[in-house]
Amino acid sequence: MQPAIDVRTLGVRYNLRLTRKNTVREAFKGMARRRRGPSHFWALRDVSFRVPPGESLAVIGPNGAGKSTLLQVLAGILQPDEGAIDVNGRISSLLTLGAGFDPELSGRDNILLAGAFMGIEHRDMLARMDGIIEFADLGQFIDAAIKTYSSGMNARLGFSIATAVEPDVLLLDEVLGTGDATFRAKSQARVLELMQAARAIVLVTHDMNWATEFCNHALLLEQGNVVAAGDPAAVVAIHEERSEQRRAGLTPDRLPPITDTGILEAEPNAATPARAGR
Amino acid sequence: MAHTTQAVRPAYRPVRPGPLETLTGTAREVWSRRRLITYLVRADLKKRGADTVLGNLWWVIDPLLTMLVYVVLISIILRVEREAYPLFIFTAILPWKWFSSSIADAVTCITTRDRIIKQVNFPKIVLPMAVSVGGVANFVFGLVPLFGMLVLFYPTRITAWILLLPVVALVQFLLTIGIAVLASALTVFFRDIGNVATHALRIWFYLSPALYGAEQVTQAVGEGSILSTIYRLNPFVALFESYRNLIYAGAPPVWDLLALVLVESVILLVVAVLVFRRMEPSFAKVI
Repeated sequence: MQPAIDVRTLGVRYNLRLTRKNTVREAFKGMARRRRGPSHFWALRDVSFRVPPGESLAVIGPNGAGKSTLLQVLAGILQPDEGAIDVNGRISSLLTLGAGFDPELSGRDNILLAGAFMGIEHRDMLARMDGIIEFADLGQFIDAAIKTYSSGMNARLGFSIATAVEPDVLLLDEVLGTGDATFRAKSQARVLELMQAARAIVLVTHDMNWATEFCNHALLLEQGNVVAAGDPAAVVAIHEERSEQRRAGLTPDRLPPITDTGILEAEPNAATPARAGR
Repeated sequence: MAHTTQAVRPAYRPVRPGPLETLTGTAREVWSRRRLITYLVRADLKKRGADTVLGNLWWVIDPLLTMLVYVVLISIILRVEREAYPLFIFTAILPWKWFSSSIADAVTCITTRDRIIKQVNFPKIVLPMAVSVGGVANFVFGLVPLFGMLVLFYPTRITAWILLLPVVALVQFLLTIGIAVLASALTVFFRDIGNVATHALRIWFYLSPALYGAEQVTQAVGEGSILSTIYRLNPFVALFESYRNLIYAGAPPVWDLLALVLVESVILLVVAVLVFRRMEPSFAKVI
């Protein structure tokens, strides 16, 4: 069967010169000393995995490991510099909530604006409008400018918009802990609902319970490489052990990157994590 | 399990579509996102009037005040004699306000949308396009006091030529959109462009025949001389003189120069779109 997501030796490179250089003056300076220092940085390298339809993948790892970059590539926001990715189906990404909001506009206008940014048909968006408003539960505030919203209200509206459309492939980045307890319960239920409906899910999380409870597979990213992959419980165990070491002020040994895990493809022992024995 | 440290890395060769394909692809994308452009324009218009007491009236008052300042400065202090001078400069100030505010907004339109660019995949070219379209509203509102002035103070100057106003405006629109698209993309890599633009626009304004007539310059440097030819290459010579002919002098636009500006604008737009599309993949990484 064709996988919903197929990632092969993916590499994403940041050009340090470009990202640092923001003025013409520095561009000239950069030209003068061309060959000094590393010119780029691999945020992701040699990342390969496949997510078949109906599966959900948890991506875990310390800060700066490249988790968000991975989601950005899957969402089509970043282009790979190496390797290739194939995503089959309509993607919806729940990256940072409320990113496209215009503070001067009302909640209602922002719903339409966000829909237009995401490329959702206008008619489709109008049809979903009532549902979004009801789910966000903002009362009269829906017609007030977003700048009057509290951060919780903002996130609630963002969440409602992002989950209003049933995607084939759902990308989730740390959005589960939004709002007050009531809304959190409601949003968790909604995410689970979407996860059941979606063809494939990639979830970036620091909440290990989500990884073990709701995902069938997990990837551990460190410094842009996949260092462990397989059964969520085992991968989480590796991650927690290493986080423990980091908290204690130690630097855990660098794990060799797994360059082609093929976690799900024709692996009879796919459930065994690559490095569970460590 | 296959985990070698030496990966087989197929060299990634992004399939870059040819120029023609890029252009048609961009046109298709912009058309499919026309509603996004509409929303962005509407949001912009709503915002501009939202926090002020007089609201959208500022669209009308603003060019009038600018004109008054120049009228006082030039006809009263510098004592320049010209018939119907307020109308004379108003025909240039209006299109200039449209152009300069569009470019000033275009310069920042990508960099200020950094959050959404990093979160959602959409054709970024809609941002400078929306700015350019929004600028047209600026011009249209400004036409209200212009026509008011014509009817109240200079009714004898109204001729049928005024009906060609949209033709000249269309040429200016194409020029604006080309510069806007190019400037917005370059600013991502060179933030200086924002600072440069303010001054470049001011200098450009004084070099263009807005407060004076183009004939004053061509007479000063000698009719038909190289300098006068160079001077007339400024697209705003063609535009201001054409607007002025239609509204102030009751004459046809400067067809030959206007046609040249049209050709230049189309070429510029094509180049701008190609440059923009080439740079677009790096936006999310750089901003």
